[in-house]
Amino acid sequence: MNAEHGITINQVSRSFTGRGTLVQALSDVSLDCPEGSFTALIGPSGCGKSTLLRLALGLDAPDSGQVLISGMTPQAAAKSGKTGVAFQDAALMPWRTVEDNILLPLDVLGRKRSAYHDEVAKLVKLVGLDGFEKALPGELSGGMRQRAAIARALVTRPEILFLDEPFGALDQILRRQMNVELQRIWMESNATTLLVTHGIDEAIFLADRVVVMQSKPGRISRIIDVPFDRPRTPDLFAHPTFHALEKEIAEALDGH
Amino acid sequence: MATKTPAAKTESVLSLRQKLARYSTVRNWLLLLVFWEIIGQLRLVADGALPAPSAILARMWVDWADYPPHIWATLEGAGAGFLIGNAVAIAAGVLFATFPLTQRLARGVNVALFALPPIAVSPILVITFSDMTPRIILAAIGCYFVTMSATVTGIQQTDRRIVDVVHAYGGRQWKTLIYAQMRSAIPAILSGLRVAAPNAVLGSILAEFGGGGRFGLGVYLIGSLGRGEPDRLWGIGLSATVIAGLAYLLFSLIATRLTGTSKAVTVPASPPAPKAEKSMVLTLALGTVSFALPFLLWWLMLAIMGTPAMIAKTPVGLFDYLFMMPSSLVSLGKLATALGQTLPMTMVGMAVGLSFAFALALCSVLYTAIIRGFMPVALVTQTMPLVALTPLLVLILGRGPSLILWITVSVTFFPAFVTMAQGLSMVSRAAIEVPKAYGAGPFRQLWLVSIPASLPYLFAATRLAVPRALLGVMIAEWLATGKGLGNLLNQSRGYLDYGMIWSVSVVSVLISVLFYQIVVAIEQRVLSKRGMAPAQ
Repeated sequence: MNAEHGITINQVSRSFTGRGTLVQALSDVSLDCPEGSFTALIGPSGCGKSTLLRLALGLDAPDSGQVLISGMTPQAAAKSGKTGVAFQDAALMPWRTVEDNILLPLDVLGRKRSAYHDEVAKLVKLVGLDGFEKALPGELSGGMRQRAAIARALVTRPEILFLDEPFGALDQILRRQMNVELQRIWMESNATTLLVTHGIDEAIFLADRVVVMQSKPGRISRIIDVPFDRPRTPDLFAHPTFHALEKEIAEALDGH
Repeated sequence: MATKTPAAKTESVLSLRQKLARYSTVRNWLLLLVFWEIIGQLRLVADGALPAPSAILARMWVDWADYPPHIWATLEGAGAGFLIGNAVAIAAGVLFATFPLTQRLARGVNVALFALPPIAVSPILVITFSDMTPRIILAAIGCYFVTMSATVTGIQQTDRRIVDVVHAYGGRQWKTLIYAQMRSAIPAILSGLRVAAPNAVLGSILAEFGGGGRFGLGVYLIGSLGRGEPDRLWGIGLSATVIAGLAYLLFSLIATRLTGTSKAVTVPASPPAPKAEKSMVLTLALGTVSFALPFLLWWLMLAIMGTPAMIAKTPVGLFDYLFMMPSSLVSLGKLATALGQTLPMTMVGMAVGLSFAFALALCSVLYTAIIRGFMPVALVTQTMPLVALTPLLVLILGRGPSLILWITVSVTFFPAFVTMAQGLSMVSRAAIEVPKAYGAGPFRQLWLVSIPASLPYLFAATRLAVPRALLGVMIAEWLATGKGLGNLLNQSRGYLDYGMIWSVSVVSVLISVLFYQIVVAIEQRVLSKRGMAPAQ
């Protein structure tokens, strides 16, 4: 299926040369994320999941193969504002207030801020940061910063949302809370989402399917569908099927 | 309540300790002042060459009417140079950081501007330009390198992830610069401006030494040198120091206000290294262009200025003067003799200054208490136009070779010490504690951790010391000893021997650049073997 408003990754390869050796970060990787789907990428360090995300964001170009975002090249999609992104560690600008940070994509895209006034107010509420619009990132807790980053990712009403280990720097307890909140936010946004993560439980809880990657060379080894209905509640973490899936993914990560 | 008390107690103890530390700094300064007063009153140094602070102040009171025009003239030159130099530096820094190729092309110009001894180019500026222009140019040159490297570093150190966010929304070079890099470079640029401010004052004063103009602290200083009035000379020298110090303080305050941070005082001594190119041909081509560019600019500048060829020597004109004219042999002979006098002094002074600084910096690891008292003094000397105070040393030390040595040691020692001590203080506690945990004594610790860790800073200090040492020697020669390159420069000024003025200028810049490059080459070999990066 060729996703009109989804992500299409077609036989993509990318290698790097570092210290005289050639590292095959991605070898002939293909993946389709249909419109409105939530896909989680999981794999050991160096399996190329971050490389894949950078290619999809247009931050890097593949050696061969093709990446299409909403039927466009990643750069064109980025320039037209169809994508949103939240990185690990929030990556907020320390000199901008929460509100200004959320508005950053509009500045870069050259859009009028005034047209998004209501949208920003809604987003701030959605991520639970009301009252902190004028705070600087340094004054917020890690979880709040991460929520600001997610609000920033959503401000352009993106068709495609990229999340690069958005909760990687948070502790397990906070992470679970954020997962529940992210699901709520995501269900309202309807964006096609690609999540890169290290957490097996996070991947299962959030995604429709989990893509397991392997390293040397970086490739997709298995795709596991997640059958749970939405909205998913925290009880799910204790569900037997959930544990079975966790086991299956762990084994896939081990290369079984 | 009970749980709150211990916390409050530690807090008050901490602040008490801070108060004590501040108090001890004040106490050290007071002790120094009292000591100075006693020495001055008893005329212990060179029969009154070091007057007491009270005598200096009294003399300043008497001379008070003389000061304003001189101070204004210096401030005017320094101020204009500061504005122009930094504007150019920031623009250049942005260009270099955005297009690394331009940085490689401009390397020759950058190193030349960093390494040139201001006193050497002061006479050619005075004969080529008029009025305030030489002062403005030297002040601007004093600012350029510091601010340029600070801008490049600041931009390059922008958080990668922030840049990625801008890129991820389709922002390219220009938007990245506006939204991410410029803003995050501001603290670095401000700390550059802070070091640049006293440099501008120093540049203006050194240009004033070269003549041209009736007013300026440099003019006042030179004019008063022959009259043998130590108290007046010291008054002028101290005012110059205070102005430079205030300029430094002003930008420290702005930096603290704007960014809430104040960075360590280290002076950048290397152009930030651009990425190495793989292709040999390209490297060679870039190197050649970068080498040729300063000469080309020199030529272009004179062509635009339209200065008569008799006065302004182009590279070709200079070659003619040195190698093609009947008098060339005599000129070359003079130059060689002067070099023979200047170079050994520079080397010895630099070696002594650096070893002393290194030894003391290592002591700072062993005996932290000594340094805590000494560091504030050393930091102040960073802002002092030390080379401009040479006339004061002439007063104390007379006009013999020991003067040159003292001056060279003093101008190299302080910046080198501050650089090395700060470098050593950055060595992680954990790294020092590992050998300690295995029972190593303090000297073993030094040998295993502190000395290897401080290598990059030793090199950075040496890079910093090279041009300063040459500058110190040349000023001493110019003003006092009547030997070497500095004297040749001053003499030729008197004889209107323009060819020789240009020769000395160019030769001293070339020597300074050559020394600098040798240090860089050794540094790269040594550090890359150890997997270390050069310190800024």
